[in-house]
Amino acid sequence: MKLTARRAGFLVLATMAFFSGVRGQQDARAELDGQFSRVVRPFVETYCITCHGKQQPAAQMDLSGLMTMSAFMQDGRRWLRMSERLEAGQMPPKGARQPTPQERHALVAWFHAVRAYETRANAGDPGVVLARRLSSEEYNYTIRDLTGVDIRPAREFPVDPANTAGFDNSGETLTMSSTLLKKYLAGAREVASHMYLKEKGFAFAPHPMLVETDRDKFAVQQIIDFYHQQNIDYADYFQTAWRFRHRAALGQPRATLAGLARQYGISAKYLETIWSSLESSEKVGPLVKLQAMWRALPGPQAAQPNAARAGCEEMRAYIARVRKKVEPRFINITAGPIGTAWQPLLIWKNRQYATHRRNFDPRQLQVEGEPPFNQRGVVEPEWDNAFGPGKTILVENEPDDPDLSVPAGQRVRYEAAWGRFCSVFPDMFYRESRGRNYFRTGRDEGRYLSAGFHNVMGYFRDDQPLYELILDAEQQATLDRMWREMDFVASINIRTYVEFAKLGTRGTRDDFKDGEPEVREIEVEDIISEAKLRKLEADYLEVAKGGSNVAIQAVRDFFDTASEGIGWVKRARRDAEASHLESLCNFASRAYRRPLSPADRADLLSFYREARERYGLDHEGAVRESIVLVLTSPKFSYRIDLLEGSGDIQPLSNFDLASRLSYFLWSSMPDKELMDHAASGDLGKPEIIKGQARRMLQDSRIRGLAVEFGGNWLGFRDFEQIGTVDRERFSSFNDELKEAMFEEPIHFLMDVFRHNRSILDFLYARDTFVNPVLARHYGMPPNESDKNVWVGIPDADRYDRGGILPMAAFLTKNAPGLRTSPVKRGYWVARNILGDQIPPPPPVVPELPVDEAKMDLPLRQMLERHRSDPSCAACHARFDSFGLALETFDPIGRRRTQDLAGRAVDARATFPGGIEGEGWKGIQKYIRDHREDDFVRSFSSKLLAYALGRSLTLSDDLLIQEIGRSLGKNGCCFETVIESIVTSRQFLNKRTRASDDQ
Amino acid sequence: MIEIQHAPHRKDENLLARRTFLRGAGVTMALPWMESLSGFGIGSASAAAANVQPQRFAVLFMGTGISPGRWWAKGTGAGMELSESLKPLEPFKAKINVIDGLFNKAATGQGIHPAMTGNMLSGVPIRRGSIIHGGITMDQVLANRIGQETLQPSMVLACERAMTGFHETNFSNAYSSHISWQSSESPVPNEMYPSLAFDSLFENGGRLRNTSILDRVKDHALALSGKVSATDKLKMEEYLASVREVERSIERMRTDKEKAEERARDAGRPMFAMKRPQDGLPEDIRDHIRLMCDIIALGFQTDKTRVASLVLARDLSALYYPFLGVSKQHHGASHYDTEEDYQKIVLFQVSQLAYLAQRLDAMPEGESTVLDNTCLLFLSNMWSGTKHDNKKVPVVTIGGLGGKLETGRALNYFESEDDNRKLCSLYLSIMDRMGVELAEFGDAKIRLAGF
Repeated sequence: MKLTARRAGFLVLATMAFFSGVRGQQDARAELDGQFSRVVRPFVETYCITCHGKQQPAAQMDLSGLMTMSAFMQDGRRWLRMSERLEAGQMPPKGARQPTPQERHALVAWFHAVRAYETRANAGDPGVVLARRLSSEEYNYTIRDLTGVDIRPAREFPVDPANTAGFDNSGETLTMSSTLLKKYLAGAREVASHMYLKEKGFAFAPHPMLVETDRDKFAVQQIIDFYHQQNIDYADYFQTAWRFRHRAALGQPRATLAGLARQYGISAKYLETIWSSLESSEKVGPLVKLQAMWRALPGPQAAQPNAARAGCEEMRAYIARVRKKVEPRFINITAGPIGTAWQPLLIWKNRQYATHRRNFDPRQLQVEGEPPFNQRGVVEPEWDNAFGPGKTILVENEPDDPDLSVPAGQRVRYEAAWGRFCSVFPDMFYRESRGRNYFRTGRDEGRYLSAGFHNVMGYFRDDQPLYELILDAEQQATLDRMWREMDFVASINIRTYVEFAKLGTRGTRDDFKDGEPEVREIEVEDIISEAKLRKLEADYLEVAKGGSNVAIQAVRDFFDTASEGIGWVKRARRDAEASHLESLCNFASRAYRRPLSPADRADLLSFYREARERYGLDHEGAVRESIVLVLTSPKFSYRIDLLEGSGDIQPLSNFDLASRLSYFLWSSMPDKELMDHAASGDLGKPEIIKGQARRMLQDSRIRGLAVEFGGNWLGFRDFEQIGTVDRERFSSFNDELKEAMFEEPIHFLMDVFRHNRSILDFLYARDTFVNPVLARHYGMPPNESDKNVWVGIPDADRYDRGGILPMAAFLTKNAPGLRTSPVKRGYWVARNILGDQIPPPPPVVPELPVDEAKMDLPLRQMLERHRSDPSCAACHARFDSFGLALETFDPIGRRRTQDLAGRAVDARATFPGGIEGEGWKGIQKYIRDHREDDFVRSFSSKLLAYALGRSLTLSDDLLIQEIGRSLGKNGCCFETVIESIVTSRQFLNKRTRASDDQ
Repeated sequence: MIEIQHAPHRKDENLLARRTFLRGAGVTMALPWMESLSGFGIGSASAAAANVQPQRFAVLFMGTGISPGRWWAKGTGAGMELSESLKPLEPFKAKINVIDGLFNKAATGQGIHPAMTGNMLSGVPIRRGSIIHGGITMDQVLANRIGQETLQPSMVLACERAMTGFHETNFSNAYSSHISWQSSESPVPNEMYPSLAFDSLFENGGRLRNTSILDRVKDHALALSGKVSATDKLKMEEYLASVREVERSIERMRTDKEKAEERARDAGRPMFAMKRPQDGLPEDIRDHIRLMCDIIALGFQTDKTRVASLVLARDLSALYYPFLGVSKQHHGASHYDTEEDYQKIVLFQVSQLAYLAQRLDAMPEGESTVLDNTCLLFLSNMWSGTKHDNKKVPVVTIGGLGGKLETGRALNYFESEDDNRKLCSLYLSIMDRMGVELAEFGDAKIRLAGF
């Protein structure tokens, strides 16, 4: 890092003051006072006050109130600006009366001395960091991490104002109002509506859980999602087994089956099963053929890593082919007058299939000398019932099928071999949807987990092979829990039974039967009582008494299962209540981000009891209401550092420090590991807090820092609301592209954060990140992947990209629509990147035409004209040039050689200080040669202000300088800044009273 | 069970309050609670001042169609001739419109039952499979607008339990059970319990619940104040001031409501009053429907709500009507919709519509009646249940929206082009007359010509 002469001189002064001691401080103050009267006041009166007086002060800078030393000192921001402009020779402007070089020098020296004095006087002061409510975005992120679902309840909250550092995370601007409090209440209710009770504790669903259909959807969907996560593709298993066989040749001599299963995303347990089947010594039956195919798989070849894949897929196809030939079939049953579509009998049929998926139909084997098997003569009851399972489509094999042939007298031996094969390779791992007709498939998709009833709901579990063959013990427990949650969360059993029971004994063949209902729509509790249930069972058994034993047993089983399920859920709900209250207390502790005090706990539980007893809410309603209380409490919605000792400056408590750190890096609540450190009290130790910060940088939540800090630092936080682009003229600009533009800097920032890259990469990097949409926009080679796939482009500079300067988001945001804006783009570089303080424009400025295509002169010439006015030139000379150098990008950030009127673009520019350059690379070079330290200082200052949640003061100067020095030593790595900040006095302490000097 | 009497004094607040907590269903809570309570009580202050009567809207739904061939009207006004099925509406002839020939394009060609129902009031395509997706319904659009003037933005009631799971067409049974949707993902919960629907009108559960939460968080803020720095105390003060302001606005609402009730009493208007229905579900569907109609009438008269929807019998209805001598279930009977059994059911349900109309018509309001300031909309998801035919659906409106809606007409659009006979065009026209003017709604960009 290079330092300019001017900055180096300043550092020397500052350092001298630092070592001069208290005595020296007092002397220095007296000296400065004297100089103020002799040098400063006369200078201001002579050269400044004409323009910067009380009446319409230029640049809204009124200096008339700064005529005493103490008034001057209290307005630090203003005199810092003065000193910068004066030092740069930008003030007084050309044409105004000019001081002599000696006068200017004397004033500049005084400013430096004051700054050094001030910096020294309060160095490291934590400053007043106000208690504050969470910002809207922090609220959303915190709810996400607290509940595990991204509900974003703050999307309806008003936009938070930013503080003077440009961030919306400080108590200076985050105020409370009754309107907002009402929104907090509404937001808390919204979050609480997502809560559902579990067998142990509670959790939150991605959608509200108040309506039965939503609970139902939730419970079903989580099972479906679980199923879909399991890999049941035989070819993947064979291929992985093949990799194991050739592990040495494939360069993984130490590979294990379990390790490879993990690596390739398949079940280790099932891979073991498959491996031993393939390697077993099988003499007869289908496995023999499969093993032969397995042995015939080609070995690994250097040029073709997937040489064996085709063979694995053939093995898969072989299994499908032979397996189909021996699938069991179960013919409809009836029970006396009771039809086959009636729930108990349909469930019987479902169960036959579900429990025989690892079996086969031995009658299909074609044993030499035995009569051929066929079921064609079977008369199936109710095969024509349109509302039932319909006609069974039989498995009919050709005679003399070699797959099925068995030599005479060998049936027993072959059945055993087929049994082994079919047990490992089931006809289906699970059935995720079912229509009412068994064999008319294609109409069933989406009717997830259905039992196949007509016109009423009902679910049926059919996943035995998955459960037994694929899932490990933990996954089995998860799936069992999910099925219990069908009942616990969505009351499936109860509601299905109630619908069934309402029909009385007439719910037989279909639901159009005549006659009085036997049970009316009365309270559910009554219908599901054991007595009523058994009464209905008895009635049915009476009707069914002419049926077969199998059918009668099916009726008994149906009622037993219903009774058991209903009994279980009633008991489980009662038993779970205590765990829900425990969960509530844990929830509150996490929401409050500190351990729950006994008083907090008593408060919460008494509120719950009040909700139940006084307001008659049921258990679930009262828990929900208690969640609303927790989320409305200032203990949740405010970030408050508690006082624990006395003194104006105190160390932050460990829990407050955990919050400060997590809201800094994640814009969200601390996670468990941070809280554990806080609880053990070691978070304040430099090594611990640095380690935690490094860990947090790797976490996906670091996106919070990229969006909230990066977005405000670089001014793209509100990019998605941009409405200036004319979509007719720029037809490629659609919502997808807009979103991609917004995401690019986020991906880049996160990469810098996570890989501890140099902060100079923001400016000089050759790489960037694109998705297919942005790649197309940038003219990079087409990439047809999903728009959510982001890839790094290491040589992006080939396409005139790399780092933040040429990112489309900034080029587009800083263009007014139908033309570019060198002014806005240049201002962005000067202000956001280099940290220049530039005063606001005067109230009356000439407007430039809106449409580039309709301009008589190139923009550059129009701006030249504007700069010929000296009062404009003072500022515009500081930034227009950067924008002109970016003229090679059109209003939506594409490379161009002509402007919209067809004129060749000229990207040459004279940067401040008279340095010539061209294009965005010219800006890079200019910064590298002349302004790098400005960038570093600006970036560190912004990040520190964001970390502390307050505007910076002079007392932070030393820290900024220190960060600059550490960066210089460490290759400007990002973690250096983070570590300096989180171990600084400012970050670790709290000022409890405003100091008089500030 | 129902009696006409002068408005009683408020019942024991705690007793009623207790009940409002029982279930979260029935009342649209989709909007921030407080926003929805902006103008409380009878004819919000501005409306009362201008002496303008509020307009109301209710939709009543019966699933699986009517008796084709017995559903028609001819002529206009008092001279209108009504078919057998519409006879119960005879006393209100001059106040009704019988509209034939309208349809909902998005509900056709997708499959029977749920696919014909889930978008009846929204006009948007609904999605098959596990992810429920439809659109906001016109009653909820009204709730979000005119409903903001009242205690409850809308009442969403049903006389039959909702089904879940999937129909064989792979559409969720939720589409068959819910006619009111506040968002594309979730239906508004149906309130089935008359007692709870009643409570929702008389006790503002939201107010009590929020009051007790505000009490607590105030304590939290005070406790925190003792443990923070002087500057942070100011921030806690800011929070406390906000809490107090919200409390005051709740208190204001309470007094506004009392004043409004007082005004009504002073005006000497005979208030329709009903006893609180018993807890639980009525065993007889006749009682159930009448209680729900009474509650809507009461809500409208006292201006506690201006929007209501009522499922008399859902799609795939499993209701029985033994008292009609019909032994089939509603849905089963609809498969024989030319037979007497189904006609009896249709006639019964139209009588319920007539009952609500008669209730509202017996409530004087200014120079007219509450019915005159209302639009009741009756419709079904099919024309013929036997054929599962929804090429057109039966529609009747009752009430003139305070003179904004011409009545006493028999209109037929069946011969019009499809674009000119959309249900959503009718909704646009009704909403226009209630001051909610949308450029488009559902699949319609134009108003219903001649309506």
